[in-house]
Amino acid sequence: MRGALPWLLLSILATSACGTSTRVDEFRPSSTLLPLNSDEKVVVVGRRHSGAYETDPDFINCIGTRLATRGQLSVMPEQQFLDSFYPWFEPRMAPLGLKRMGGMLEDPLIGKRVRDLGIRYMIWVDGNIETTEKSGAISCAVAPGGGGCFGFSSWDKAANYEAIIWDIGKLGEKGRVQVDSKGSSYLLAVGAPIPFIARVQGEACEGIGTRLQSFFAPAGPGSP
Amino acid sequence: MTKPQVSINAYCRTLRLLTSLRLLPIVAVITLLIGCSTNVTVNGDYPAALVAKQPLSVGLVLDDSFSSYRFTSEKDNRQPVTMALGESQVQLFNRVFTDLFQSSATLQTLPTGQNTLDLMIVPEITEVQLATPMETQLNVYEVWLKYNLKVYDGNGQPVADWMMSAYGKTQSRFLKSDEEALNQATVMALRDAGARLLTGFQQIPEIRQWLVNRQAPTKLSQRTER
Repeated sequence: MRGALPWLLLSILATSACGTSTRVDEFRPSSTLLPLNSDEKVVVVGRRHSGAYETDPDFINCIGTRLATRGQLSVMPEQQFLDSFYPWFEPRMAPLGLKRMGGMLEDPLIGKRVRDLGIRYMIWVDGNIETTEKSGAISCAVAPGGGGCFGFSSWDKAANYEAIIWDIGKLGEKGRVQVDSKGSSYLLAVGAPIPFIARVQGEACEGIGTRLQSFFAPAGPGSP
Repeated sequence: MTKPQVSINAYCRTLRLLTSLRLLPIVAVITLLIGCSTNVTVNGDYPAALVAKQPLSVGLVLDDSFSSYRFTSEKDNRQPVTMALGESQVQLFNRVFTDLFQSSATLQTLPTGQNTLDLMIVPEITEVQLATPMETQLNVYEVWLKYNLKVYDGNGQPVADWMMSAYGKTQSRFLKSDEEALNQATVMALRDAGARLLTGFQQIPEIRQWLVNRQAPTKLSQRTER
């Protein structure tokens, strides 16, 4: 019975720990689903103008992949988009508002490239993930007969992202999605360290991706 | 972006992990036994620019100090960093000049006497600054590059002296090595330098004035012909 106690504690920890809570808010100016022709594309781009943080490209890829696989939308990869329009969407140059975007589209080269590539919607994603709290300690020792670690450490992570949908064809904002995701991860060391990691960024991607997907009309042969 | 040609120094990251787990005695012993350094040969792909070509014939003067530029940082409180930047910045400048001007030629030295070029541009890297993961507390590097672009007309007369700075930061927080993180930050800084060149060249007051003066005789001759 005593031998089973650590395993019981471990199982309880494994099932109860690493909990992630995610809240998704949205704003829709209209209930109409966004149409996307078969030759039109969506591009998901990260905001990187802030000096304090960077919107992780892996997170952007995660959202793009989700929209492409689950939403069946035609999504252009972020890097391909940035390279196709270099230097106009580099952090220093990227338009922060629709007015500036409209000005950029008046440039014949940029306007033509948008049309050639069939980019209809841009989804700007801004935010990051950060470690909010850390506690505990783990000590390890090595001796001629072997070694091991003992202790407990935990840390909390919070992800906060906002996505804004721009209709490039009609030059208007079509919606916003905000996601807050929080989770605690643990590292338990009884001999060997055992990590219990919360999927904070994964949950945030899932939350924001699923909600963004619901803005678009399902793709199909009869789509407008 | 292609993977950097780097000597992967995996144990440096292990040391950081051990430090975070408060294994300072072990860290101290290992650190005494082996030193840490980050060596990167910057390697990036720079895309074609979506800009209208200027109707100018330009000579880009890239001397050896620019082409083989290597930055070394050895501050007491951080691990030494060596960054071979020359090849990659040559690649970027060649790409940008090819896309920005109707005709562009790469030269090794500034030609003396009159020639057929409208402008000759001599870039020089004057400063490199780094913020390392020890300072940012993440596997994130920040890179600042400062260039001085000396612009001469076809007769070798100075036209402008443009100080241009660029900034880049590691974007992915989960890169495997310090070298990859530093390479990504430097490539971002070089892309930023390219963006500044492409969008800022015509905004330099001396260049604008030179372009106005250059067009004036043409317009005058057109008017006389009529």
